[in-house]
Amino acid sequence: MNDTDRQPDIAAHHEASWREGIRVGMPTLFGIAAWGVVVGVAMIKSGLTVPQALGMTLLVFAGSAQLASLPLIAAAAPIWVIFATALVVNLRFLIFSALLAPHFASLPWYRRLALGYTAGDLTVALFLQRYPDVRPEAGKVSFLKGLLHPNWLAWQGGSIAGIFLGNQVPADWGLGFAGTLAIICILVPMVASKPALCGVLVAGVVAVLAAGMPYKLGLLAAVVVGMATAMAVEEIGGRKAKNV
Amino acid sequence: MSDLEIWITIIALAVATGITRSGFWLVGHRVNIPPRVHEMLRYAPSCALAAIVGPDLLLDPSTTQLTVLNPKLVAGVASIGWYLFRRNMLETIVFGMLLFTALRLLHLF
Repeated sequence: MNDTDRQPDIAAHHEASWREGIRVGMPTLFGIAAWGVVVGVAMIKSGLTVPQALGMTLLVFAGSAQLASLPLIAAAAPIWVIFATALVVNLRFLIFSALLAPHFASLPWYRRLALGYTAGDLTVALFLQRYPDVRPEAGKVSFLKGLLHPNWLAWQGGSIAGIFLGNQVPADWGLGFAGTLAIICILVPMVASKPALCGVLVAGVVAVLAAGMPYKLGLLAAVVVGMATAMAVEEIGGRKAKNV
Repeated sequence: MSDLEIWITIIALAVATGITRSGFWLVGHRVNIPPRVHEMLRYAPSCALAAIVGPDLLLDPSTTQLTVLNPKLVAGVASIGWYLFRRNMLETIVFGMLLFTALRLLHLF
């Protein structure tokens, strides 16, 4: 295909972009690792054996779904119930994958599978800040890998440390708060516009009010209501601009 | 659950991750998302992050009651200020954790 020949090769290794991805993601790693420790400790405390916990962190790689499944496993819930719960808890990733996938549609399926599997909340947000446009650009894959690989290592390192520390980490240290702080730092520059700020505030409030919903559905409700709010504010602002 | 059942559960969880995380990457180019929906999706990452942060700052983890004055909220708000001022994430995390730990140990709130 001559048409694609002229487009930049997004998959070729691009050293500068790779380094940039690592540099951009670096400050989040501490928070990610602390979160991993929390999930690792939770797996052991809920009664999983060390091999089971290691298998879970390496295969599942989804902190919130892991945390949600632990009480269900402890209560010996049917496997399909646990599966359905994990699907619902992970629903926001469906939105994220819809956002990121068009950037990488030209890659072979196994590379798309691997990149998608390792893309989490923070890395998606950071990637979209750097590349808001889906147009092919040299270095896109390298930048994403620079974000994803250290993120994966920090998560697994923290999680495995948590598994082996097991019962020795007191819950009231609140290590998970470091993850929240990392998210705050990513979030602050993202609310540069009025619609985004309104959407974020509404999403935060809805998440608090809907926290009691089963399967963490409150999180999804918060995302949907927040997005709708941002769009509405954008629309009102746009109409005003046209009238001036 | 038996050891085997737990391993089957772990595999099922991995499949759930694959479906939600990689689903659109594998078949997305065959699905046409209307431009209007796509415009709206731009706000999804920030809203999702806010939806994770909000309950952590405002809800008591043991009772899930709304608490306005608590160490996490105070440290979180102070950290937003620190980040706006310094624009350095690692510094902000260290600052936030130190403040949170100090407030927790002092039982000020």
